[in-house]
Amino acid sequence: MASTINALTGSGGVAILGDTSGEIELQSAGVTKAKVTSSGLQNASGVAITAQSGKNLIINGNMQIAQRAQSVTGITSSSGTYSTMDRFQDIVRTVGTWTQTQDTDVPTGQGFATSLKMDCTTANGSLSADSWLRWQTQLEGFNCQPFKFGTANAESITLSFWVKSNKTGTYCIELYQTDSGRAISKSYTIDSANTYEKKELTFVGDTAGNISNDNGSGFIVTYWFAAGANYQSGTLQTSWGAITTANRAVGQVNLADSTSNYINITGIQLEANTTATPFENLQYGQQLALCQRYYEYGTRNFYGSTDSAGNIVSEETYKVVKRATPTMVYGTWSWARSGTGGTGSPINYQTNINKWSCYIGAGLGYVASFSGGSWTASSEL
Amino acid sequence: MKYKLTKNIDGTISTTQVIRISDGAFIPFDEENADYQKYLEWIAEGNTPEEAE
Repeated sequence: MASTINALTGSGGVAILGDTSGEIELQSAGVTKAKVTSSGLQNASGVAITAQSGKNLIINGNMQIAQRAQSVTGITSSSGTYSTMDRFQDIVRTVGTWTQTQDTDVPTGQGFATSLKMDCTTANGSLSADSWLRWQTQLEGFNCQPFKFGTANAESITLSFWVKSNKTGTYCIELYQTDSGRAISKSYTIDSANTYEKKELTFVGDTAGNISNDNGSGFIVTYWFAAGANYQSGTLQTSWGAITTANRAVGQVNLADSTSNYINITGIQLEANTTATPFENLQYGQQLALCQRYYEYGTRNFYGSTDSAGNIVSEETYKVVKRATPTMVYGTWSWARSGTGGTGSPINYQTNINKWSCYIGAGLGYVASFSGGSWTASSEL
Repeated sequence: MKYKLTKNIDGTISTTQVIRISDGAFIPFDEENADYQKYLEWIAEGNTPEEAE
């Protein structure tokens, strides 16, 4: 702790001198928020404060990018569907019917324009033992290395977000390391109905964890909204350990018990820190590009000639290199050659992480031709 | 969920991808692809993809 404050009358500044350890701490309400050490300026957990770019490990935490759809109705069953918002999966089982929307209801004056909303359209007030309703976002292993899990220097990590619901009470958050199967959970309380509240949850680092430095799933953040008895018959698992089914969402309220129920969430940030810092805003194009590593769509118009077998082959380089060879879905394409044409479904051909290609039959002979239509490439975790 | 085999451009059966019938998706035989992992689980349950057309 600083022991001396000197006013430098000559230069007009103020010098704060550290004690014999050379460390200066900046505190608020008795809690260290930052410090100056022999290594330089650090946050409360000792991480160097440099450029803040990339501190938020959650992609699309401000619910800005929804490439697939802005609203999906009638959600009754899902085992990890990306219904609307990029990078956020919904997982739904015997828990009523839901509409998911990229909503414009946001916390006032916080710099957010959109939130992710789940709205109950058919209630289930008596959950089955294996009922669940949750969202999850998966982090690629490459991006999780700043957590330093599995080392003595494992960082504490803080999750912050804004939430609003008519349904007050206890909600659960679960963090899961995909490679090791280790998990930790915490609960938070929605105190006031129909009012945005900011929540901050800090989790200790896991010195026994293991997050591979690869393009696979390294870390999963799960938001629970309803949980059957199978998932809350034990004690909430508030320290890192092997995931235990009965301990995953203990105390979780049933958001599905009324068609009046809804929940909105935005401003999700996960950072290596012991406290939450302001949300890291990215430019729209940056956020879109981050999402396109996992999902991209487009349309293609190709003018050329058929091959010797009469196929029109079309290919295109993605805007962003994909995480893995993607699943391709083509719409109904149009094609034309020498005064004739039609529609059909292309066949995927020689697709990899850099480009896709497909072909559609148009008849024998090398002739001038055209083909065009829509495509999507998904390499989600 | 059901799947069917597909053919290569030369008419032979593809050994690099399979079609998910529900949406016509081409799923690559890449273990890093989440859809392929689900396909493998489906196969492990004793299912068999339909023949290519």
